[in-house]
Amino acid sequence: MTKMRVNPNRMELLKLKRRGDVAKRGHKLLKDKFDELLKEFIARISANRKLRAEVESRLIGAYGLLAIARAEAGKANLTQALLTGAPVELLEASERRVMSVRVPEFELGEVPEPGGYSLATMPAVLDGALEALAEVVPMMVDLAQREKAIELLAGEIERTRRRVNALEYVLMPSINETVKDIQMKLDEAERGNLTRLMKVKDIIAAQEAAGER
Amino acid sequence: MAKIAIVGDSTSVAGFRPLGFATFPVERAEDARGLWRELSGGAYGVVFVTEPVYSALEDLIVEVLDQPVPAVTIIPGAGSPGGVGGARINRAIERALGTSMLIREEEE
Repeated sequence: MTKMRVNPNRMELLKLKRRGDVAKRGHKLLKDKFDELLKEFIARISANRKLRAEVESRLIGAYGLLAIARAEAGKANLTQALLTGAPVELLEASERRVMSVRVPEFELGEVPEPGGYSLATMPAVLDGALEALAEVVPMMVDLAQREKAIELLAGEIERTRRRVNALEYVLMPSINETVKDIQMKLDEAERGNLTRLMKVKDIIAAQEAAGER
Repeated sequence: MAKIAIVGDSTSVAGFRPLGFATFPVERAEDARGLWRELSGGAYGVVFVTEPVYSALEDLIVEVLDQPVPAVTIIPGAGSPGGVGGARINRAIERALGTSMLIREEEE
C-alpha cells in the first residue's frame, strides 16, 4: 500500500491517528448502511419478479382480446372508438426515503370508466379487453414504483460499496502504514539521540578523567 | 398530480387511451426519441415504454435512472416476446450485488 508523503514528526503522527479513527468510524457506519440497503434490496427483488411476470402475462392476454376486437370491428373503427377519453392526472406522486435514498411513491387515482364508443358497432370483446387492461393498470403502476425503487437502491448500493471498499482497502491501510512508518522513524531518531547522548557523556567523562589526572 | 404516459406502437398503446393514459403511438421505435424531452420533463410520473421503444431510447432512459421521476417501466408490446423488463432488473441486481449468482440460487 502506498505511503503518504508527510513529515515524520509527532504532529503529523497525531493528525494521522485522528484521521485513522475517523476513517474507521466512517467505514463502520457505511458498512452498516450497506448491509441494511442490501437487506432492503433483496426483500424487494423476489416480490418484484412475481409481479412482473403477472403483469406481462395479463397484458399479453389483453392485447389478444384487443386483436380479436380489431378483427371483428375493423382497424379504422377500433382506432376511432379508442380515441375517446383524454389524458387525466391519474397519479399522486410523492417521495419516501429508504436509507437516505429518495424513492417515488405513486398513488393511483380513479381510472376512468372506458366507454363513449358506439355499443352498436363495437364488438363485446372490446369491453372485455378494456376491462382487462383496467385491471392491469394498478399492477402496472405498482410495478413501476417497485422497479424504480430497485433501480435507485441498486445505484445507491453500488456507490456505498465503492466507498466502503475505498475506505477499507485504500485509505485505512495507507493511513496505518504511514502511522507505522512515522513511528518507526521517530523511534529510530530517539535511538540515535540516545546513542549520541551516551557517546557525548562518555567523551565528557573521558575529558574530565584526563583533566583530573 | 402527475400523468401516466405510454409510448409504443399504436396497437399496444391505443387501449390505454380510454383509461386516461397519455398515449404516444409511434410508428417506428426511433420516432420516440423526439418525444423524450416532453416525457422526461416532469409532467409524467410514470412512463411505460414497449420493448422496441426501450431499445431505441435506452441511452436516454439511462440518464434519468438516478432520479425518482419519471419511473420508466418496460412493458411487453403487442407482438414482442417479453422479458426485456426482467433483464433490465437483473442488470440492476448485478450492478448492486456485483453478481447475479443470488438470482440463480433463488430460481432453483
